[in-house]
This record gives sequence, C-alpha cells and structure tokens, in this order.
Amino acid sequence: MRINDRVFGMLMLILAVGYGWEATQFPIPFGGQESVGPETFPIMLAIILGISSIYMIVRPDQDEKWAPAAMLIELSVVVLSMLAFAWAIEPIGFMPAAALVVSFLSWRMGASIAKSIITGVTSSVVIFFLFNNVLELALPLGLLEF
Amino acid sequence: MDTMSLLMQGFAVALTPESIMFAVIGAILGTLIGALPGLGPANGVAILIPLAFSLGLSPTSSLILLTSVYAGAMYGGRISSILLNIPGDEPAMMTCLDGYPMALKGKAAEALAISAIASFIGSFIATIGLVILAPILAKFALRFGPSEYFALFALAFATLGGITGKNQFKTLMAAAIGLMIATVGIDISTGVQRFTFNTLELFEGVDFIIAIVGLFAISELLFFLERHAGDGLKQVAINKLKLSAKDIIKVLPASFRGAVLGFVAGVLPGAGASLGSFISYTLEKRVSDKGEFGKGDPRGVAAPEAGNNGAASGALVPMLTLGVPGSGTTAVLLAMLISLNISPGPMLFQQNADLVWGVIAAMFVGNLVLLLLNIPMVGIFVKLLSIPPKYLMPIVTLIASVGIYSVSHSALDLYFMIGFGVLGYIFRKIDIPLVPIILGMLLGPEMEKSLRHALVLSDGDWTVLFNSGLSIGLWTVAILGLVLPMIVGPIVRAKMSKSKEAVKDV
Repeated sequence: MRINDRVFGMLMLILAVGYGWEATQFPIPFGGQESVGPETFPIMLAIILGISSIYMIVRPDQDEKWAPAAMLIELSVVVLSMLAFAWAIEPIGFMPAAALVVSFLSWRMGASIAKSIITGVTSSVVIFFLFNNVLELALPLGLLEF
Repeated sequence: MDTMSLLMQGFAVALTPESIMFAVIGAILGTLIGALPGLGPANGVAILIPLAFSLGLSPTSSLILLTSVYAGAMYGGRISSILLNIPGDEPAMMTCLDGYPMALKGKAAEALAISAIASFIGSFIATIGLVILAPILAKFALRFGPSEYFALFALAFATLGGITGKNQFKTLMAAAIGLMIATVGIDISTGVQRFTFNTLELFEGVDFIIAIVGLFAISELLFFLERHAGDGLKQVAINKLKLSAKDIIKVLPASFRGAVLGFVAGVLPGAGASLGSFISYTLEKRVSDKGEFGKGDPRGVAAPEAGNNGAASGALVPMLTLGVPGSGTTAVLLAMLISLNISPGPMLFQQNADLVWGVIAAMFVGNLVLLLLNIPMVGIFVKLLSIPPKYLMPIVTLIASVGIYSVSHSALDLYFMIGFGVLGYIFRKIDIPLVPIILGMLLGPEMEKSLRHALVLSDGDWTVLFNSGLSIGLWTVAILGLVLPMIVGPIVRAKMSKSKEAVKDV
C-alpha cells in the first residue's frame, strides 16, 4: 500500500496553497512596499512545500503499517489522559494529577495495577519534593493546599 | 599561542567547583540517557533544556551541563549495544557488531571497559581537533555576508538527511514545515502579524523547546505503547573485569584511527556520527584483517566507539562556529544557545570567548569524569538499564512535562507539547524526519533575515545570492548534498544492513 504518502502529500499541498495565499494577503507594512517584504520568505516556503508534496503524491513510498484500530483508540485515550493531566495541574494540584497520569500510563504499558499505582504515587511525590524543596521551582499544590 | 592562553582561561572557568559539579551531574545523567534504549541523546538534552532554563542557571553552567549530557549520552549508548544488542542511539549501532558477541562469550565487562577507553580517546582527540579547527573556521566565517549565510543555511538543510538519507524530498518537506512554523508570529523587521489569526498566544511565535520535547519525548512514548515494548529486553549478565595492560595497548591504534576518522565525519556536513562509526569500523576491519571481526574482536568495539565519540565532538565545530548544526542533538544544543540569547556563529568566539572556551575546557574535564565514572561504576548503570520501560517511560514523560510547565506556568504550553507529540507520531509513521523540522524552527528567523538583508542590499536583485565564489561553492555543496544520497544512499545503506545481517548469523 502506498496510500499514506498520497494522503499526506495531498494535505501538505493544501497547506502549501493555503499558507502561500495567506502570505499574499499580509497588510502592506508601515513605510510602504519594499522589494522584499514579510511575504517573500513564506511564499518561497510555500513553493518548496508544494513541490515536495507533489513529489510525494506522484512517487509515494511504501507504507509503514498503522497500528490496528484498537491500538489507535488506546493511543488516543493516552493522549487524552495527558491533556487531562495538563488541565488538572492547577485546579487539582500537581501530585494527584501526576500520580493518576503516571499510574495510568504505566498500567497501559503493561505493568500490574498495584505496581503502576506504586510507581505513580512514588514518582509524583518524589518529583514534587525534588522540584519544590531542592530545585525551588514551585508546583501547584491544588486540593492539598490548606 | 593565542589559542593556548584562551584555553587556559577556559580551564579557569571549567575547574571552578560549580562547573565541575555540573559536569559530573551532566555526565551521570547523560550516561543514563544514552544507556536507556529509546531515550536517545537528542531527546534527553531536549528534556533537560527547560529544566536548566527554569532553574535560572547561568549560560556557562547550562552549557557545561548540557554538553556533558551530550558527551555522556555517547558513552551510554554503548552499554545497551553491548549488553542488549540494541543500540541506545543510532551511531552506537556499529558497536553491536562486535560488542554483543563479546558479551555472549562472557567478556561483557571487558567490552564495556574497552569501549569506555575508546570513547575517551575518541572524545579527547576530537576535542583537541575542535580547539585547533574552531577558531580557524570562525575567523574564516567572518567573511560571510548575508547571501553566503543564506546559502549556508540551505546547505545545512540539504545535507541534513546525510549520505544515508532515504527520501530527500521528505527531508525538504520537513525543513519547509519547520521554517513555516518559524514564520508564525509578529514579523521582526516590519511588525506585521503573520499566521497568527489574531490569537494573542501566537504573537510571539511557537516556542521551539516545547516543540522539541513534544516531537521527541511524547512521540517516543506513543511508539513504546504501540510496540508493547514496556517489558524491556533480556540482557547478558556481566562478568568480573579481567583486563590487562596488554589488552588495552592492543586496541589503542584502532581507537586512534577511529577517533580521527570520526572527527572528520563529525565536522563535515551531512556525515555525522553514524557514518563516523561506520567508516571507522569498516576501515579497522580492512587494516587489521587477521582479527575475528563480527565475532567479538575487541578492536571492532574500540574503532566504532572512538569514531562515534569523535564525531560527536566534531559536530560541535560547525554548530559553534557557523551556528549550523549537523545533527539532531547539536540542533537541540543550538536551541539551548538561542534560548539563552546567545547567537552562535563566528562572533561567538569574539563576544563570548570565555563562554566558548569554558565549555571546551569543560569537555576535557567531562571526558575525564566520564572515563572515571564508566569503568568502576558501570555496574550501577547496568542495574538501572534493567528497569523496564513500563515504569521508566511514564516517569520520563512526567519530568518532561514538569520541565515545560515550569518555564511559564501555563497549561497551554503543555497542550502544545502534547499536540506536537501527536504530530511527531504521525510524521514518524509517514517517515518524515523530525530533525529538519526542528532545525527549521531554529534557523528560520536567521535564514529569513539574511535573505532580506541580501535582497535589500541588492535592491531586490535575486542574483545577489549567487554572485560570490564562496556562495556558489556553498550552493554547489548543497545541491550535491541533496542529489548524491539519491545515488549513493542505497549502496551505503545496503552495506550497513549487510554487516548487521552478518552478525545475526553468528
């Protein structure tokens, strides 16, 4: 199968055209038009990206196998869990958020539930104290603040 | 000599207790990073940059820390090559060829010790080479005008895929994507907003450190998950060290040859550490054909190790003097310099002489530390290597996130990091190399600036880009660098995989 490169090339071609068009729409800078403006370099880049994406569409490489659908869903869940962690640092606090995400990740990587919880809790507590007390970089306490 | 006195001043900086402390910490961290399969030097240095940054270390200390990490990672790469037959990073691949068979024969400790000595020789000689060559190149580069610089940047991208690069158009595409990301934000010379879509967060552009950590570290985690590689691999047990002076003397010539070849490969654009260790290995095999190469010859361990460490230090020459890195890890070190507000290039040697020479002197110190660290303490590193990735990778990811978070205390940076991680995963699936993207983000502003300077000076005449002998020369090399791999690449790659195959049969 050589579909990956074709699809990706297509997307990049759209990006190149969109990016190049956007560059021609820049407002004329204060002081009038010069021979080279803010749009010169971006237009060059759009051309290079365009050429290489056309090459990709015309001469695609052999596909690397995508993971099966179940794995892709799992990867998306992992990504979502990391996004949730990023969101939770401030309202919930670093330690609980980190403990949850590290336990979850290490469980998904194949550790037993008990061991992943130990990994998560220990690492988040150690890193919290290392950062707050030794390196003096404040991490939010969140719910644990009192 | 002028260089000598500057170097002595450098040692005055490098031998302060604070610098030695950072060199030791960096050496230990670096060895660990190099030893853990899948972490890799570029990744490791990238994770540490935001930490060094938010700790508010001085430029000299941060650079000493990170160059020691860099050197240490090259040492560490060999540990997993020898014990697991899995290179910690790409250049360590050739060390597998004789290192793993040696370990199977019950000579793991000897292989580790010999490779540590060879690494030391490689780095040491190459650092001397750096001391000699860098000031000369820096002086020469002062003659570069904006159009020469533009050609030089083009050369850097063209040769980045290296001789072994697979699809040059993908390298080109990656470079274009990186440069495009760099154009987001307010244009420095006119104040026009570009591609910001009136979003306040994009006015300052995309922070490349966030992008680097995301592209490397987060995508690596996703790959580990996908491959179910969480359990790690079985490693060969380590024996008691029995190394005589005779054994060491026997591998010295191989190490010296490897070191010199590696250094040259490191300096040249497009060659890099992988090619350095490959050439050193093949030459050694040819020069001393009586040995049992591929079956556990100590010289087959020494030559590529000296070669890849030599190349690692050699790669710092173009990075420091021209501001043009030749490899992923040196690109990440360049990111460090830029975020510390130090612009690399020929002026670096004049404006920040004590910084440069301090770092170079620190490389000598760091190397000695690494040698002392790696022979007696190798057992500890081996123990850590046996921690399965399923515990380690999540913790590494956590440390990377903390680093990014503590730079500006905003969750938005973390969202960006994760987004870049997903992008990195997709790019790697499509075989789009990540290093040109990063280099594009780093060099973009400078590259555009030189193009504009050149064109403004010539009043919009594009031929100015090709009107000096120097720039024509640079363009020629750039075009060769882009075209040659399409012809030579398949041959070299076939040879590399053939020698790898040969080992598997043993």
